Amino acid sequence: MVESKTREIKALNLALLALAGLSLAVAVWDVASDTFRAGTDDVFLVLVCLMLALLFAIPPMMWAYSNGMLKNPFADEAGDEGGAAVQTEAAHETHGGSNRENIIVWGGLLALTAIEVFLAYIQIPTTLMLIILMGASIIKAALIVAYFMHLKFERLSLILTIVPTIVALLCLFAVLFPDSFRARNLRPAEAVQQVEHE
Amino acid sequence: MAEARAESLAVNDWAGGVHPYRVGHRKLGMWLFIMSDTLTFAALLVVYSYARASSVAWPKPFPFSPSIIFSTTMTLVLLSSSLTMVFAVAASKKGKRGTARKWIFATMVLGLTFVVLHMMEWNHLIGEGLRPFELPAEWLEPHAWPGASPLFGSTFFGITGLHMFHVLTGVIYLGVVAARIKKLNDDVEVAGLYWHFVDLVWMFVFPLIYLLSVDYHGVIKP
Repeated sequence: MVESKTREIKALNLALLALAGLSLAVAVWDVASDTFRAGTDDVFLVLVCLMLALLFAIPPMMWAYSNGMLKNPFADEAGDEGGAAVQTEAAHETHGGSNRENIIVWGGLLALTAIEVFLAYIQIPTTLMLIILMGASIIKAALIVAYFMHLKFERLSLILTIVPTIVALLCLFAVLFPDSFRARNLRPAEAVQQVEHE
Repeated sequence: MAEARAESLAVNDWAGGVHPYRVGHRKLGMWLFIMSDTLTFAALLVVYSYARASSVAWPKPFPFSPSIIFSTTMTLVLLSSSLTMVFAVAASKKGKRGTARKWIFATMVLGLTFVVLHMMEWNHLIGEGLRPFELPAEWLEPHAWPGASPLFGSTFFGITGLHMFHVLTGVIYLGVVAARIKKLNDDVEVAGLYWHFVDLVWMFVFPLIYLLSVDYHGVIKP
């Protein structure tokens, strides 16, 4: 009974790994093929394939990790989460966001906001400004989600259910954005020039 | 080692079991709502960026002083309300209901302050002549932003309006939680998730709408 279940899990994990490899292969094929133009379509296809590969690869990697075949490169303590789940759970309960830690996070959020407003004050090129602002906002969002919303102290299965889904969907939204430049170029040239000469 | 392995299988992150996420149903429901609401705001912000990048001209009507200083104050108020909410959750986890209630009231006051400040700003822009589908006549003059898209008004009022609605709903929600704090205990934490999410959304609205639309050329007379 147990034997057959282990074999079943192994087979399923191998199938998922194969799907991850297949997704990766499609992404590589798209980049290597002659039709690759680095346009919106290609960005879309490559991003979707990479994300699918990541999502397919998570369960086998988690399985390998909990069976000791894979070490967690991010583990900062000797006792890792796979082996000592109960122990870390208890530890999380106690140090899960002390007031001091939260005030430090709040200070970090204020500092990032101050940097953003300072950049708006000294006026830098719009594209650079947009990149820095989005970077700072993503860091701020991560801080809020991890500490204020306690996601850092939740079970890994909850984190892996929420974060990759949202990131994947937001990337798919963002993939539409470059099309706006095409829409702008479709406008009559006189209309654009008339505005841009000033 | 063998026993430890057998035990870890039951509590393993992927073993599932009766409590696959080890959170209550309220908290799980709130997380699912937050995920869907993230997509609502993301869609609006992508539409805003799309409209802006595909337009030949886009108004930048916020002079650093007073508009940006004003909206920075709003940001500080909202960030601080997140901190008071964190304190409320911490207090309720320790079973200190009175303290938790005080921090929730502080959060509500800061949230209402944000709404009032935002209303003042809306009032100012409406007074200048900004409408959802119409820009003020002065904004379209040659020295300002000729040919600018009237979508500025609809995206501005749409995004900030939906966010303000979330803040207002959050204040009411917190009021209900504070009033019923004796009956329910994990409600404070769940309400906290919602409140932090509203704060998080503003962390994207503020830079995209305000900080990227600073009027450096003194077009708008204060």
